[in-house]
Amino acid sequence: MSKGQSSGGLMSSAGLVRYFESEDRNAPRIDPRTVVAFGVLFGVLILVLNAL
Amino acid sequence: MSWKETAAPVLTRMPTVSRPQGHVPFKRKIGWTAGVLVLYFFLTNVYLFGLGGQGSSDIYGQFRAILAGGTGTVLHLGIGPIVTASIVLQLLGGANLLGLDTSNPRDQALYQGLQKFLVVVMIFLTGLPMVFIGGMLPASEALGAQLGIGTFGVQVLIFAQLLVGGLLLLFMDEVISKWGVGSGIGLFIIAGVSQSLMRGFFGTGQPKGFFASWFDIIIGKTPLGPVLSGSGLSSLLLGPGNLLALFTTLLIFAIVVYAESVRVEIPLSHAKVKGARGRYPVKLIYASVLPMILVRALQANIQLVGKLLYGQFGNMMPFWEYTQNQQAGLVPTDGLFYYFQPIRSTQWIDALATEPAQILLRIGIDLLFMVVGGALFAVFWVETTDMGPEASAEKIQNSGMQIPGFRRNPGVMEKVLARYIPQVTIIGGALVGLLAVGANMLGTIGQVSGTGLLLTVSITYKLYEEIAEEQLMEMHPVMRDMFS
Repeated sequence: MSKGQSSGGLMSSAGLVRYFESEDRNAPRIDPRTVVAFGVLFGVLILVLNAL
Repeated sequence: MSWKETAAPVLTRMPTVSRPQGHVPFKRKIGWTAGVLVLYFFLTNVYLFGLGGQGSSDIYGQFRAILAGGTGTVLHLGIGPIVTASIVLQLLGGANLLGLDTSNPRDQALYQGLQKFLVVVMIFLTGLPMVFIGGMLPASEALGAQLGIGTFGVQVLIFAQLLVGGLLLLFMDEVISKWGVGSGIGLFIIAGVSQSLMRGFFGTGQPKGFFASWFDIIIGKTPLGPVLSGSGLSSLLLGPGNLLALFTTLLIFAIVVYAESVRVEIPLSHAKVKGARGRYPVKLIYASVLPMILVRALQANIQLVGKLLYGQFGNMMPFWEYTQNQQAGLVPTDGLFYYFQPIRSTQWIDALATEPAQILLRIGIDLLFMVVGGALFAVFWVETTDMGPEASAEKIQNSGMQIPGFRRNPGVMEKVLARYIPQVTIIGGALVGLLAVGANMLGTIGQVSGTGLLLTVSITYKLYEEIAEEQLMEMHPVMRDMFS
Protein backbone atom coordinates (compact mmCIF):
# COMPACT_ATOMS: atom_id res chain seq x y z
CA MET A 1 0.00 0.00 0.00
CA SER A 2 1.45 3.33 -1.02
CA LYS A 3 1.88 6.03 1.49
CA GLY A 4 -0.38 8.38 -0.41
CA GLN A 5 -3.37 6.15 0.06
CA SER A 6 -3.40 6.97 3.72
CA SER A 7 -4.58 10.42 2.68
CA GLY A 8 -7.97 8.75 2.23
CA GLY A 9 -8.07 8.65 5.99
CA LEU A 10 -8.17 12.41 6.00
CA MET A 11 -11.77 12.32 4.84
CA SER A 12 -14.02 12.72 7.79
CA SER A 13 -16.67 10.04 8.05
CA ALA A 14 -18.35 11.82 10.87
CA GLY A 15 -21.63 10.58 12.22
CA LEU A 16 -24.45 12.91 13.05
CA VAL A 17 -23.07 13.49 16.54
CA ARG A 18 -19.40 14.37 16.74
CA TYR A 19 -17.04 13.38 19.50
CA PHE A 20 -13.63 14.94 19.86
CA GLU A 21 -10.46 13.52 21.29
CA SER A 22 -10.06 16.19 23.89
CA GLU A 23 -12.72 16.31 26.51
CA ASP A 24 -13.16 18.46 29.50
CA ARG A 25 -11.91 16.91 32.70
CA ASN A 26 -14.89 18.32 34.58
CA ALA A 27 -17.37 16.09 32.76
CA PRO A 28 -18.53 13.01 34.64
CA ARG A 29 -17.41 9.79 32.93
CA ILE A 30 -19.77 6.89 32.30
CA ASP A 31 -18.49 3.40 31.69
CA PRO A 32 -19.94 1.93 28.47
CA ARG A 33 -20.92 -1.17 30.45
CA THR A 34 -23.06 1.06 32.66
CA VAL A 35 -24.93 2.37 29.61
CA VAL A 36 -25.73 -1.11 28.31
CA ALA A 37 -26.57 -2.51 31.75
CA PHE A 38 -28.84 0.43 32.48
CA GLY A 39 -30.60 -0.02 29.14
CA VAL A 40 -31.25 -3.71 29.81
CA LEU A 41 -32.48 -3.06 33.37
CA PHE A 42 -34.71 -0.22 32.24
CA GLY A 43 -36.27 -2.37 29.51
CA VAL A 44 -36.86 -5.26 31.88
CA LEU A 45 -38.38 -2.91 34.48
CA ILE A 46 -40.92 -1.57 31.98
CA LEU A 47 -41.71 -5.09 30.78
CA VAL A 48 -42.35 -6.20 34.36
CA LEU A 49 -44.52 -3.13 35.04
CA ASN A 50 -46.54 -3.88 31.91
CA ALA A 51 -46.98 -7.53 32.90
CA LEU A 52 -48.24 -6.71 36.39
CA MET B 1 -18.96 38.41 27.93
CA SER B 2 -19.79 36.02 25.15
CA TRP B 3 -22.23 33.17 25.50
CA LYS B 4 -19.29 30.79 25.74
CA GLU B 5 -18.19 31.88 29.21
CA THR B 6 -21.75 31.93 30.44
CA ALA B 7 -22.62 28.47 29.18
CA ALA B 8 -19.27 26.78 29.76
CA PRO B 9 -19.92 25.61 33.35
CA VAL B 10 -23.02 23.72 32.21
CA LEU B 11 -21.86 22.53 28.81
CA THR B 12 -18.51 21.17 29.97
CA ARG B 13 -20.20 19.13 32.68
CA MET B 14 -22.42 17.06 30.41
CA PRO B 15 -21.81 13.39 31.22
CA THR B 16 -19.81 11.54 28.59
CA VAL B 17 -19.00 7.91 27.95
CA SER B 18 -15.37 7.27 28.85
CA ARG B 19 -12.88 6.73 26.06
CA PRO B 20 -10.99 3.46 25.70
CA GLN B 21 -7.40 3.57 26.94
CA GLY B 22 -5.29 2.57 23.98
CA HIS B 23 -6.23 0.34 21.11
CA VAL B 24 -9.47 -1.68 21.15
CA PRO B 25 -9.12 -4.99 19.29
CA PHE B 26 -11.38 -5.37 16.29
CA LYS B 27 -13.22 -8.32 17.79
CA ARG B 28 -14.12 -6.35 20.88
CA LYS B 29 -15.30 -3.45 18.71
CA ILE B 30 -17.64 -5.80 16.88
CA GLY B 31 -18.76 -7.11 20.27
CA TRP B 32 -19.72 -3.65 21.52
CA THR B 33 -21.49 -2.84 18.24
CA ALA B 34 -23.48 -6.09 18.28
CA GLY B 35 -24.31 -5.71 21.97
CA VAL B 36 -25.70 -2.21 21.55
CA LEU B 37 -27.62 -3.31 18.45
CA VAL B 38 -29.26 -6.16 20.39
CA LEU B 39 -30.15 -3.70 23.15
CA TYR B 40 -31.67 -1.40 20.53
CA PHE B 41 -33.86 -4.17 19.09
CA PHE B 42 -34.87 -5.20 22.60
CA LEU B 43 -35.92 -1.65 23.48
CA THR B 44 -37.97 -1.26 20.28
CA ASN B 45 -40.09 -4.11 21.64
CA VAL B 46 -40.64 -2.65 25.09
CA TYR B 47 -43.99 -0.88 25.03
CA LEU B 48 -44.57 2.22 27.12
CA PHE B 49 -46.09 1.60 30.54
CA GLY B 50 -49.36 3.42 31.09
CA LEU B 51 -50.59 3.75 27.50
CA GLY B 52 -54.36 3.52 27.36
CA GLY B 53 -56.55 2.04 24.66
CA GLN B 54 -56.24 2.52 20.92
CA GLY B 55 -55.62 5.68 19.03
CA SER B 56 -51.91 6.03 19.66
CA SER B 57 -51.12 7.01 16.08
CA ASP B 58 -47.58 7.11 14.83
CA ILE B 59 -46.54 10.70 14.95
CA TYR B 60 -43.73 10.23 12.46
CA GLY B 61 -45.94 8.29 10.03
CA GLN B 62 -44.07 7.88 6.77
CA PHE B 63 -40.85 9.22 8.31
CA ARG B 64 -40.57 6.34 10.78
CA ALA B 65 -38.16 4.34 8.61
CA ILE B 66 -35.59 7.15 8.70
CA LEU B 67 -36.08 8.25 12.27
CA ALA B 68 -35.75 4.72 13.73
CA GLY B 69 -37.29 3.67 17.03
CA GLY B 70 -40.69 2.02 17.34
CA THR B 71 -44.25 3.32 17.68
CA GLY B 72 -45.57 3.25 21.24
CA THR B 73 -42.31 1.87 22.63
CA VAL B 74 -39.81 3.50 24.96
CA LEU B 75 -37.93 4.45 21.79
CA HIS B 76 -41.01 6.21 20.40
CA LEU B 77 -39.00 9.37 19.74
CA GLY B 78 -36.33 7.42 17.87
CA ILE B 79 -33.40 9.50 16.70
CA GLY B 80 -35.78 12.41 16.01
CA PRO B 81 -34.46 14.63 18.83
CA ILE B 82 -30.84 13.89 17.92
CA VAL B 83 -31.43 14.73 14.26
CA THR B 84 -33.40 17.87 15.10
CA ALA B 85 -30.67 19.03 17.46
CA SER B 86 -28.20 18.44 14.65
CA ILE B 87 -30.29 20.59 12.29
CA VAL B 88 -30.17 23.47 14.74
CA LEU B 89 -26.44 23.04 15.20
CA GLN B 90 -25.84 22.84 11.43
CA LEU B 91 -27.82 26.01 10.80
CA LEU B 92 -26.08 27.89 13.58
CA GLY B 93 -22.65 26.57 12.62
CA GLY B 94 -23.21 26.99 8.89
CA ALA B 95 -24.19 30.62 9.36
CA ASN B 96 -21.14 31.04 11.64
CA LEU B 97 -23.25 32.23 14.56
CA LEU B 98 -21.63 29.90 17.09
CA GLY B 99 -18.16 31.35 16.94
CA LEU B 100 -16.69 27.99 17.91
CA ASP B 101 -13.35 26.95 16.50
CA THR B 102 -13.50 23.16 16.37
CA SER B 103 -9.71 22.84 16.23
CA ASN B 104 -9.42 24.41 19.66
CA PRO B 105 -9.73 21.83 22.50
CA ARG B 106 -11.66 24.22 24.72
CA ASP B 107 -14.22 24.90 21.98
CA GLN B 108 -14.42 21.21 21.14
CA ALA B 109 -15.59 20.44 24.67
CA LEU B 110 -18.15 23.24 24.39
CA TYR B 111 -19.38 21.99 21.01
CA GLN B 112 -19.75 18.50 22.39
CA GLY B 113 -21.67 19.73 25.41
CA LEU B 114 -23.89 21.96 23.29
CA GLN B 115 -24.73 18.95 21.13
CA LYS B 116 -25.95 16.96 24.13
CA PHE B 117 -27.76 19.91 25.66
CA LEU B 118 -29.67 20.52 22.41
CA VAL B 119 -30.71 16.85 22.21
CA VAL B 120 -32.18 17.07 25.72
CA VAL B 121 -34.01 20.26 24.76
CA MET B 122 -35.41 18.54 21.66
CA ILE B 123 -36.58 15.52 23.68
CA PHE B 124 -38.62 17.92 25.79
CA LEU B 125 -39.83 19.93 22.80
CA THR B 126 -41.10 16.90 20.87
CA GLY B 127 -42.02 14.63 23.79
CA LEU B 128 -44.01 17.06 25.94
CA PRO B 129 -46.57 18.07 23.29
CA MET B 130 -46.94 14.45 22.16
CA VAL B 131 -47.89 13.28 25.64
CA PHE B 132 -49.67 16.28 27.10
CA ILE B 133 -51.48 18.12 24.32
CA GLY B 134 -51.43 16.15 21.09
CA GLY B 135 -53.15 13.06 22.47
CA MET B 136 -50.90 10.87 20.30
CA LEU B 137 -49.87 8.80 23.31
CA PRO B 138 -53.10 8.61 25.33
CA ALA B 139 -52.60 7.85 29.02
CA SER B 140 -54.59 5.07 30.64
CA GLU B 141 -57.24 6.57 32.91
CA ALA B 142 -57.86 3.24 34.64
CA LEU B 143 -54.22 3.05 35.69
CA GLY B 144 -54.32 6.60 37.00
CA ALA B 145 -57.32 5.79 39.19
CA GLN B 146 -55.73 2.55 40.33
CA LEU B 147 -52.47 4.18 41.38
CA GLY B 148 -54.24 7.26 42.69
CA ILE B 149 -52.13 9.65 40.63
CA GLY B 150 -54.76 10.63 38.08
CA THR B 151 -54.35 10.82 34.31
CA PHE B 152 -51.81 13.62 34.65
CA GLY B 153 -49.63 11.40 36.82
CA VAL B 154 -49.68 8.66 34.19
CA GLN B 155 -48.79 11.22 31.52
CA VAL B 156 -45.78 12.26 33.58
CA LEU B 157 -44.79 8.58 33.83
CA ILE B 158 -45.07 8.15 30.05
CA PHE B 159 -42.98 11.22 29.41
CA ALA B 160 -40.35 10.03 31.90
CA GLN B 161 -40.01 6.80 29.92
CA LEU B 162 -39.69 8.74 26.65
CA LEU B 163 -37.00 10.90 28.24
CA VAL B 164 -35.01 7.91 29.48
CA GLY B 165 -35.41 6.18 26.09
CA GLY B 166 -34.20 9.27 24.22
CA LEU B 167 -31.19 9.74 26.49
CA LEU B 168 -30.32 6.04 26.27
CA LEU B 169 -30.25 6.28 22.48
CA LEU B 170 -27.87 9.25 22.71
CA PHE B 171 -25.48 7.37 24.99
CA MET B 172 -25.77 4.17 22.94
CA ASP B 173 -24.63 6.20 19.94
CA GLU B 174 -21.68 7.47 21.95
CA VAL B 175 -20.72 3.95 23.06
CA ILE B 176 -20.66 2.78 19.44
CA SER B 177 -18.76 5.85 18.24
CA LYS B 178 -16.05 5.39 20.89
CA TRP B 179 -15.93 1.64 21.44
CA GLY B 180 -17.49 0.12 18.34
CA VAL B 181 -17.52 0.43 14.54
CA GLY B 182 -19.23 3.28 12.71
CA SER B 183 -21.78 5.53 14.36
CA GLY B 184 -24.78 4.46 16.42
CA ILE B 185 -27.23 6.69 14.56
CA GLY B 186 -26.20 5.18 11.25
CA LEU B 187 -26.54 1.71 12.65
CA PHE B 188 -30.03 2.36 14.02
CA ILE B 189 -31.14 3.72 10.66
CA ILE B 190 -29.80 0.67 8.84
CA ALA B 191 -31.41 -1.62 11.41
CA GLY B 192 -34.86 -0.07 10.93
CA VAL B 193 -34.70 0.11 7.14
CA SER B 194 -33.28 -3.41 6.78
CA GLN B 195 -36.06 -4.75 8.98
CA SER B 196 -38.71 -3.15 6.73
CA LEU B 197 -36.85 -4.28 3.64
CA MET B 198 -36.73 -7.88 4.87
CA ARG B 199 -40.41 -7.75 5.75
CA GLY B 200 -41.12 -6.31 2.30
CA PHE B 201 -39.30 -9.19 0.63
CA PHE B 202 -40.01 -12.20 2.81
CA GLY B 203 -43.00 -11.18 4.94
CA THR B 204 -45.94 -13.58 5.01
CA GLY B 205 -48.38 -11.48 7.06
CA GLN B 206 -50.46 -8.56 5.80
CA PRO B 207 -49.42 -6.81 3.65
CA LYS B 208 -47.76 -9.76 1.91
CA GLY B 209 -44.07 -9.66 1.14
CA PHE B 210 -42.72 -9.64 -2.41
CA PHE B 211 -41.96 -13.36 -2.57
CA ALA B 212 -45.15 -14.43 -0.81
CA SER B 213 -47.31 -12.47 -3.25
CA TRP B 214 -45.41 -13.84 -6.25
CA PHE B 215 -45.88 -17.36 -4.87
CA ASP B 216 -49.62 -16.68 -4.84
CA ILE B 217 -49.49 -15.36 -8.39
CA ILE B 218 -47.62 -18.41 -9.66
CA ILE B 219 -49.93 -20.97 -8.04
CA GLY B 220 -52.86 -18.97 -9.39
CA LYS B 221 -54.29 -17.78 -6.09
CA THR B 222 -53.94 -14.14 -7.07
CA PRO B 223 -55.20 -13.55 -10.63
CA LEU B 224 -53.12 -11.05 -12.58
CA GLY B 225 -55.53 -10.68 -15.50
CA PRO B 226 -54.35 -10.37 -19.10
CA VAL B 227 -50.82 -9.05 -18.85
CA LEU B 228 -51.00 -6.85 -21.92
CA SER B 229 -54.16 -5.02 -20.87
CA GLY B 230 -54.00 -1.85 -18.81
CA SER B 231 -55.24 -3.39 -15.58
CA GLY B 232 -53.02 -6.47 -15.96
CA LEU B 233 -49.97 -4.31 -16.50
CA SER B 234 -50.85 -2.18 -13.51
CA SER B 235 -51.24 -5.19 -11.20
CA LEU B 236 -47.97 -6.61 -12.51
CA LEU B 237 -46.02 -3.39 -11.95
CA LEU B 238 -47.81 -1.90 -8.97
CA GLY B 239 -50.43 -4.05 -7.27
CA PRO B 240 -49.57 -7.59 -6.21
CA GLY B 241 -46.70 -7.86 -8.72
CA ASN B 242 -44.74 -4.91 -7.32
CA LEU B 243 -42.12 -5.18 -10.07
CA LEU B 244 -41.65 -1.40 -10.22
CA ALA B 245 -40.74 -1.27 -6.53
CA LEU B 246 -38.23 -4.07 -7.00
CA PHE B 247 -36.74 -2.24 -9.96
CA THR B 248 -36.45 1.05 -8.02
CA THR B 249 -34.88 -0.65 -5.02
CA LEU B 250 -32.21 -2.33 -7.13
CA LEU B 251 -31.62 0.81 -9.18
CA ILE B 252 -31.06 2.98 -6.10
CA PHE B 253 -28.71 0.37 -4.75
CA ALA B 254 -26.67 0.37 -7.95
CA ILE B 255 -26.64 4.16 -8.33
CA VAL B 256 -25.42 4.79 -4.79
CA VAL B 257 -22.65 2.20 -4.98
CA TYR B 258 -21.57 3.69 -8.32
CA ALA B 259 -21.81 7.29 -7.11
CA GLU B 260 -19.66 6.44 -4.09
CA SER B 261 -16.82 5.78 -6.50
CA VAL B 262 -17.27 8.93 -8.59
CA ARG B 263 -14.71 11.46 -7.47
CA VAL B 264 -12.33 14.20 -8.49
CA GLU B 265 -8.83 13.22 -7.46
CA ILE B 266 -6.33 15.91 -6.63
CA PRO B 267 -2.76 14.62 -7.01
CA LEU B 268 -0.49 14.99 -4.02
CA SER B 269 3.21 14.43 -3.51
CA HIS B 270 5.25 14.38 -0.36
CA ALA B 271 7.36 17.43 0.29
CA LYS B 272 10.32 15.54 1.73
CA VAL B 273 10.03 11.91 0.62
CA LYS B 274 10.61 11.76 -3.12
CA GLY B 275 8.39 9.40 -5.04
CA ALA B 276 5.75 9.22 -2.34
CA ARG B 277 2.57 10.13 -4.15
CA GLY B 278 -1.05 10.18 -3.22
CA ARG B 279 -4.42 11.52 -4.15
CA TYR B 280 -6.93 13.58 -2.29
CA PRO B 281 -10.39 12.37 -3.32
CA VAL B 282 -13.28 14.81 -3.55
CA LYS B 283 -16.22 12.44 -3.81
CA LEU B 284 -19.34 13.29 -5.80
CA ILE B 285 -21.45 12.60 -2.76
CA TYR B 286 -18.78 14.39 -0.79
CA ALA B 287 -20.99 15.35 2.09
CA SER B 288 -22.48 11.87 1.84
CA VAL B 289 -26.21 11.47 2.10
CA LEU B 290 -26.33 12.28 5.80
CA PRO B 291 -27.48 15.88 5.20
CA MET B 292 -30.50 14.32 3.49
CA ILE B 293 -31.77 13.01 6.78
CA LEU B 294 -31.74 16.59 8.04
CA VAL B 295 -34.02 17.74 5.23
CA ARG B 296 -36.40 14.84 5.80
CA ALA B 297 -36.39 15.43 9.55
CA LEU B 298 -37.27 19.06 8.87
CA GLN B 299 -40.28 17.87 6.88
CA ALA B 300 -41.16 15.40 9.63
CA ASN B 301 -41.09 18.20 12.18
CA ILE B 302 -43.35 20.37 10.00
CA GLN B 303 -45.86 17.51 9.83
CA LEU B 304 -45.54 17.06 13.59
CA VAL B 305 -46.46 20.69 14.14
CA GLY B 306 -49.42 20.25 11.79
CA LYS B 307 -50.74 17.27 13.72
CA LEU B 308 -50.30 19.03 17.04
CA LEU B 309 -52.13 22.12 15.74
CA TYR B 310 -54.96 19.89 14.48
CA GLY B 311 -55.13 18.16 17.86
CA GLN B 312 -55.43 21.54 19.52
CA PHE B 313 -57.66 23.53 17.19
CA GLY B 314 -59.33 21.06 14.83
CA ASN B 315 -59.50 21.84 11.12
CA MET B 316 -58.50 25.33 10.18
CA MET B 317 -58.46 26.09 6.50
CA PRO B 318 -56.62 27.36 4.53
CA PHE B 319 -53.79 26.13 6.75
CA TRP B 320 -54.70 22.56 7.53
CA GLU B 321 -57.38 19.93 7.14
CA TYR B 322 -56.94 16.41 8.45
CA THR B 323 -58.94 13.23 7.95
CA GLN B 324 -58.82 10.12 10.12
CA ASN B 325 -57.86 7.26 7.80
CA GLN B 326 -58.41 3.60 8.71
CA GLN B 327 -54.98 2.43 7.58
CA ALA B 328 -52.72 5.43 7.70
CA GLY B 329 -54.19 7.19 10.76
CA LEU B 330 -54.36 10.96 10.67
CA VAL B 331 -53.56 12.29 7.20
CA PRO B 332 -53.55 15.86 5.92
CA THR B 333 -56.01 16.25 3.05
CA ASP B 334 -55.79 19.93 2.28
CA GLY B 335 -54.11 23.18 3.26
CA LEU B 336 -50.53 24.15 3.83
CA PHE B 337 -49.45 20.95 5.57
CA TYR B 338 -50.95 18.83 2.79
CA TYR B 339 -48.69 20.51 0.27
CA PHE B 340 -45.64 20.15 2.52
CA GLN B 341 -46.26 16.41 2.87
CA PRO B 342 -43.82 14.59 0.61
CA ILE B 343 -45.35 12.47 -2.14
CA ARG B 344 -45.14 8.83 -1.35
CA SER B 345 -44.93 5.63 -3.42
CA THR B 346 -47.40 5.21 -6.21
CA GLN B 347 -50.47 6.83 -4.70
CA TRP B 348 -50.08 9.72 -7.12
CA ILE B 349 -50.48 7.66 -10.31
CA ASP B 350 -54.21 7.09 -9.80
CA ALA B 351 -54.73 10.71 -8.85
CA LEU B 352 -52.80 11.98 -11.87
CA ALA B 353 -55.79 11.50 -14.20
CA THR B 354 -58.25 13.34 -11.96
CA GLU B 355 -56.20 16.20 -10.59
CA PRO B 356 -52.94 16.57 -12.50
CA ALA B 357 -52.30 20.14 -11.39
CA GLN B 358 -52.44 19.21 -7.71
CA ILE B 359 -50.07 16.28 -8.14
CA LEU B 360 -47.60 18.30 -10.19
CA LEU B 361 -47.66 21.09 -7.61
CA ARG B 362 -46.95 18.66 -4.78
CA ILE B 363 -44.15 16.96 -6.71
CA GLY B 364 -42.72 20.39 -7.45
CA ILE B 365 -42.77 21.43 -3.79
CA ASP B 366 -41.19 18.16 -2.67
CA LEU B 367 -38.50 18.44 -5.36
CA LEU B 368 -37.77 22.03 -4.39
CA PHE B 369 -37.52 21.06 -0.75
CA MET B 370 -35.22 18.11 -1.35
CA VAL B 371 -32.99 19.53 -4.09
CA VAL B 372 -32.49 23.00 -2.61
CA GLY B 373 -32.57 21.70 0.96
CA GLY B 374 -30.18 18.87 0.08
CA ALA B 375 -27.66 21.25 -1.50
CA LEU B 376 -27.96 23.77 1.33
CA PHE B 377 -27.52 21.25 4.14
CA ALA B 378 -24.65 19.58 2.26
CA VAL B 379 -22.83 22.94 2.21
CA PHE B 380 -23.49 23.48 5.92
CA TRP B 381 -22.45 19.91 6.64
CA VAL B 382 -19.12 20.36 4.87
CA GLU B 383 -18.50 23.56 6.80
CA THR B 384 -19.35 22.23 10.26
CA THR B 385 -17.59 18.89 9.91
CA ASP B 386 -14.34 20.49 8.74
CA MET B 387 -14.43 19.08 5.24
CA GLY B 388 -14.35 22.49 3.56
CA PRO B 389 -11.44 23.82 1.47
CA GLU B 390 -9.76 25.63 4.35
CA ALA B 391 -9.89 22.73 6.80
CA SER B 392 -8.89 20.19 4.15
CA ALA B 393 -5.91 22.30 3.05
CA GLU B 394 -4.82 22.47 6.65
CA LYS B 395 -5.04 18.69 7.01
CA ILE B 396 -3.09 18.01 3.81
CA GLN B 397 -0.45 20.52 4.83
CA ASN B 398 -0.08 18.90 8.25
CA SER B 399 0.33 15.46 6.72
CA GLY B 400 3.38 16.79 4.86
CA MET B 401 1.86 16.48 1.42
CA GLN B 402 1.56 19.14 -1.26
CA ILE B 403 -0.04 19.57 -4.66
CA PRO B 404 2.73 19.21 -7.24
CA GLY B 405 3.31 22.38 -9.19
CA PHE B 406 1.98 24.66 -6.48
CA ARG B 407 3.73 26.46 -3.67
CA ARG B 408 3.59 24.56 -0.39
CA ASN B 409 1.28 26.91 1.41
CA PRO B 410 -2.16 26.30 2.97
CA GLY B 411 -3.59 29.40 1.30
CA VAL B 412 -2.54 28.25 -2.16
CA MET B 413 -3.79 24.75 -1.50
CA GLU B 414 -7.10 26.15 -0.25
CA LYS B 415 -7.56 28.00 -3.53
CA VAL B 416 -7.02 24.82 -5.54
CA LEU B 417 -9.41 22.85 -3.35
CA ALA B 418 -11.97 25.66 -3.52
CA ARG B 419 -12.19 25.05 -7.26
CA TYR B 420 -13.72 21.65 -6.60
CA ILE B 421 -15.19 21.17 -3.13
CA PRO B 422 -18.06 23.72 -3.16
CA GLN B 423 -19.21 22.77 -6.65
CA VAL B 424 -19.01 19.04 -6.02
CA THR B 425 -20.85 19.44 -2.71
CA ILE B 426 -23.75 21.36 -4.23
CA ILE B 427 -24.09 19.03 -7.22
CA GLY B 428 -23.89 15.99 -4.96
CA GLY B 429 -26.44 17.31 -2.46
CA ALA B 430 -28.92 18.24 -5.19
CA LEU B 431 -28.41 14.89 -6.94
CA VAL B 432 -29.08 12.91 -3.79
CA GLY B 433 -32.24 14.97 -3.19
CA LEU B 434 -33.42 14.25 -6.73
CA LEU B 435 -32.74 10.54 -6.27
CA ALA B 436 -34.67 10.40 -3.02
CA VAL B 437 -37.75 12.05 -4.53
CA GLY B 438 -37.58 9.82 -7.61
CA ALA B 439 -37.33 6.66 -5.53
CA ASN B 440 -40.22 7.80 -3.34
CA MET B 441 -42.45 8.35 -6.35
CA LEU B 442 -41.74 4.99 -7.92
CA GLY B 443 -42.09 3.20 -4.58
CA THR B 444 -39.66 0.85 -2.90
CA ILE B 445 -39.91 -2.66 -1.50
CA GLY B 446 -41.22 -2.64 2.06
CA GLN B 447 -42.16 1.07 1.82
CA VAL B 448 -38.75 2.06 3.18
CA SER B 449 -38.83 5.35 1.22
CA GLY B 450 -36.17 6.64 -1.11
CA THR B 451 -34.28 8.51 1.58
CA GLY B 452 -34.25 5.44 3.83
CA LEU B 453 -32.82 3.32 1.07
CA LEU B 454 -30.23 5.93 0.08
CA LEU B 455 -29.12 6.32 3.67
CA THR B 456 -28.91 2.59 4.24
CA VAL B 457 -26.86 1.81 1.16
CA SER B 458 -24.49 4.68 1.73
CA ILE B 459 -24.04 4.01 5.47
CA THR B 460 -23.48 0.31 4.81
CA TYR B 461 -20.85 1.18 2.20
CA LYS B 462 -19.06 3.45 4.68
CA LEU B 463 -19.27 0.77 7.34
CA TYR B 464 -17.72 -1.70 4.93
CA GLU B 465 -14.86 0.70 4.21
CA GLU B 466 -14.33 1.26 7.90
CA ILE B 467 -14.30 -2.47 8.70
CA ALA B 468 -11.80 -3.07 5.88
CA GLU B 469 -9.60 -0.33 7.34
CA GLU B 470 -9.92 -1.82 10.83
CA GLN B 471 -8.89 -5.25 9.63
CA LEU B 472 -5.90 -3.81 7.85
CA MET B 473 -4.82 -2.22 11.10
CA GLU B 474 -5.25 -5.52 12.91
CA MET B 475 -2.89 -7.16 10.46
CA HIS B 476 -0.17 -4.53 10.59
CA PRO B 477 0.26 -2.62 13.83
CA VAL B 478 2.44 -0.18 11.86
CA MET B 479 -0.63 0.85 9.88
CA ARG B 480 -2.21 2.20 13.04
CA ASP B 481 0.22 5.11 13.09
CA MET B 482 -0.42 5.88 9.46
CA PHE B 483 -4.17 6.02 9.82
CA SER B 484 -4.40 7.84 13.09
